Amino acid sequence: MSEMAPARTYSQIVGSQFRKNKLAVLSLHVIYVLLFVFIFADFLANDKPIVMRYQGSTYFPVFREYGVNWFGLNWQDAFKSQQFKILEEKYGEGDWAIYPVIPYSSTEYNLEVKLQPPSRAHIFGTDELGRDVLSQMIHGARVSLLVGFVAVAIYVFIGVILGALAGFYGGVIDIVIQRMIEIMITFPRMFLIITIVAVMETQSIINIMIILGLTGWTGVARFTRGEFLKVKNEDYVVAAKALGYRDFRTIFRHVLPNTLTPVLVTATFGVAAAILIESGLSFLGFGAPPEQATWGSLLSSARDTLPTGWWLTTFPGLAIFITVTVYNLVGEGLRDALDPRLKQ
Amino acid sequence: MKKSFLIQFSVLILLIIFANLGMRSIETFDDDELGNAGGIRIDLTGNETVFESSPKDLPPREGGTLVLAESAEPEHLNTYTSTSAAATRVLDYIYETLLDYDYETWRYDRPLLAESFSISDDGYTFTFKIRENVYWHDGQQLTADDVLFSIKAVLNPFVDCAPMRSSFSKVVSASTNGQYEFIISSSETYFRNQEILGGFHIIPKHIWDPKGLLDRYSVEDLLNPSVTREEAAIKEFADAFNTHPQGRPVGEDAEPIIGSGPWLFDKWITGDYISYARNDNYWNDDPTYIDGYSEDGAYLDKVIVKVISDATARLTALKASEIDFIPRMRAVQYFTQTNTPDFLEKFQKVSYVVPAYSYIGWNNDKPYFSDKRVRQAMTMLIDRDSYNKYVAYGLGIPTIGPFYIYGEQYNHNIERWPYDPIRAVELIEEAGWIDHDGDGIRDKDGVPFNFTFSVSAGSTSSKYMALMLKEDLRKVGIVVNIRQLEWSVYVENLRDRQFDVVSLLWIGGLESDPYQIWHSDNIGDRGSNYMGFRHAEADSLIETARFELDKKKRNAMYFRLQEIFHEEQPYTFMFYQRDPGAYLKEFHGVKWIPIRPGYKLYSWWRNTSMAGEAS
Repeated sequence: MSEMAPARTYSQIVGSQFRKNKLAVLSLHVIYVLLFVFIFADFLANDKPIVMRYQGSTYFPVFREYGVNWFGLNWQDAFKSQQFKILEEKYGEGDWAIYPVIPYSSTEYNLEVKLQPPSRAHIFGTDELGRDVLSQMIHGARVSLLVGFVAVAIYVFIGVILGALAGFYGGVIDIVIQRMIEIMITFPRMFLIITIVAVMETQSIINIMIILGLTGWTGVARFTRGEFLKVKNEDYVVAAKALGYRDFRTIFRHVLPNTLTPVLVTATFGVAAAILIESGLSFLGFGAPPEQATWGSLLSSARDTLPTGWWLTTFPGLAIFITVTVYNLVGEGLRDALDPRLKQ
Repeated sequence: MKKSFLIQFSVLILLIIFANLGMRSIETFDDDELGNAGGIRIDLTGNETVFESSPKDLPPREGGTLVLAESAEPEHLNTYTSTSAAATRVLDYIYETLLDYDYETWRYDRPLLAESFSISDDGYTFTFKIRENVYWHDGQQLTADDVLFSIKAVLNPFVDCAPMRSSFSKVVSASTNGQYEFIISSSETYFRNQEILGGFHIIPKHIWDPKGLLDRYSVEDLLNPSVTREEAAIKEFADAFNTHPQGRPVGEDAEPIIGSGPWLFDKWITGDYISYARNDNYWNDDPTYIDGYSEDGAYLDKVIVKVISDATARLTALKASEIDFIPRMRAVQYFTQTNTPDFLEKFQKVSYVVPAYSYIGWNNDKPYFSDKRVRQAMTMLIDRDSYNKYVAYGLGIPTIGPFYIYGEQYNHNIERWPYDPIRAVELIEEAGWIDHDGDGIRDKDGVPFNFTFSVSAGSTSSKYMALMLKEDLRKVGIVVNIRQLEWSVYVENLRDRQFDVVSLLWIGGLESDPYQIWHSDNIGDRGSNYMGFRHAEADSLIETARFELDKKKRNAMYFRLQEIFHEEQPYTFMFYQRDPGAYLKEFHGVKWIPIRPGYKLYSWWRNTSMAGEAS
């Protein structure tokens, strides 16, 4: 049957292999949902209306917020205080507002509804200051994913370059880089991160991303080095050398594209690990600044109120679990799909 | 692979179910119910000066061990050079002072190591007659020489105890007359002299200065810089003193601290516990003081102070019977996590007032807060009543000033600033903070109203305060940045006055002198007037009141001072603190007092027969 089919490209083969793994495909869809939440968090949970009609004009407060935060625009005079819910009392004839599905921001507090179990008003309940848990989780998803992707991007970049140099040149360079790797992995990573965070002046997620990036590259470097060792004596590499290409071109144009795919698969696992570490740091109070909602800090606040307040542990805990699991499942699915020994 | 995922997931779901089985819904309280939550609420107001929360029908008996948990460990145990409250709590059981509080009047005039004392007619000289039957834990007798040595150690300029020495800065001479008389003179008739000159720990000379290095020098010599510079022995003593092993008796085999008190120092295992044992040879068998306050000795065989820094872990340890007493728990624990019938049957919950108040301090030298109208506005922007009700569970007692709320210095005629955001915004605008450039943030002279609220990393309550303030001020065009800092960094910034806003607690006494915190002399140079409060009338009131020995006249000045504080709002005064705690009901003789730490363990005893019946 195979000879009847038109010749398939490599990515088509991988794609069809991947699709055979139902769990991985499902996980991929969960990741799409997470990405959607990541991008549209402000439109899903916000105390500002998406569209509103007020005194004869139409406004888009959520978009305006982007303008204020990023492009130096100002709030219209009527909205200076940004208290749209109080403004409702002044609504006249023909005034209306459409709010996001969860009409609370992640920082908006209301002490009178503190520690409420899930209800229609607050689907996932409220925390110790009466902030909506679901809104905090939606905005926390941003932190988690951002940290996951940026940290991994940083360490893949560092790891690939160092691994490529070590694998391609061998000799002294290889020895030096390998010793660097060994020094890095002898430090327990979590302790190293906590130590660095503790001496940082300010708390921000950017710091966390950089630290995770700078401490996580060893695995990628070793992996890339191994791949390079495998292919560096292949004919096409020898041919590239024989043609007198500069090393830079040989490494990055010829060798690297043939070694990168498996490296990127391991990066998927890295995203999951980074999300987990960020949650752990936030849980310990070392992570994001206090006003930034993250899954880990939600869990940490739940710890203070246990055994009451089950919704504070359950929902963020599930969110972390599901996110970490889907990244791992997608990673496993990709690895299996790329493995030629399984290609039957 | 799929199987392992399914197993993981089902284990997780099971864990969630199990975790939720043991949970109860949060009980909601009406306002008047809120105060108790099954515990006893103690306010030592009026004539009541000591409160016993345990049954009084049984005679005390000796024996038993008490394990209690504290959140912090002392940095070391050198009584003069340590500054932490944790060290004081430990050392107060081991060392004694010449005078102590009277348990009925709470005046500092009860002779303890002194048998009697007299003050000269001009008020400058104090003469203490030392008891002849006092012995150190190692059997040596305590004499006036030890007292003189102790004051010499404090006054030695090379001993690392500057904060303590500043209280003694007006001492001009001290001497002994025979073995049992100690005379000390001050150049001022300061109203707290009795509390200071009779209130320092007496330490044994034969332990701390076996070579007698300080014998050759008089107090006058030690106060004379030209002598202290010349004489190497003074420096040599101080170096030995600062690093003396008595100040750091760590480990199983360390030499115990030698004091004279009713408890013997037992062990300090760092990161784990500090323990004491009862001193069976305690010198004091005079039972004339309030029964049970027994400076005639203690009842418990042993007290173990465990160090458990995490509040949740402390409560877990209490519930698991690993400890018997938590002096301070979190409000949320007291009100929502300890309400089960099981807990209330086994433990007694108590909330008691301590002379400590919380405040939000505005750095008066920053452009944002240099105008008193802005500071008043900030106070009116903070909904203190809601904060107290919902975040502090009603444990705070609102205060308008720094003096002890149940003391004689407190001015009850002053009305607190109300919560009034509208009036607050008017005041801010009056002060010139208007959004001139239209970017949504108020500004004045080109400075945007954008300040940083420093929060100590461990403090949940000030973190909540900062989060609420940030959200509220955003709505009126003021930006708040929250910065969490480690405690050591936090204190360092405070001393260097490198902050905009802090949220802190001052621990005071029943009667206090505002000089240290409020006089403009103490701004900068690491003085305690961290906010930079300057007010000519306040300064002169503080100075005059210090040397006014007539209490009525002095308190009239302090009443006026509080009116100034109220008007100026250098701080937003928040609450006097009621600490919530819980102890095992097996303990009797549990008494609560208005001075810190709020309880004294001398009177506690364990009814072991009760435990027998229970088990």
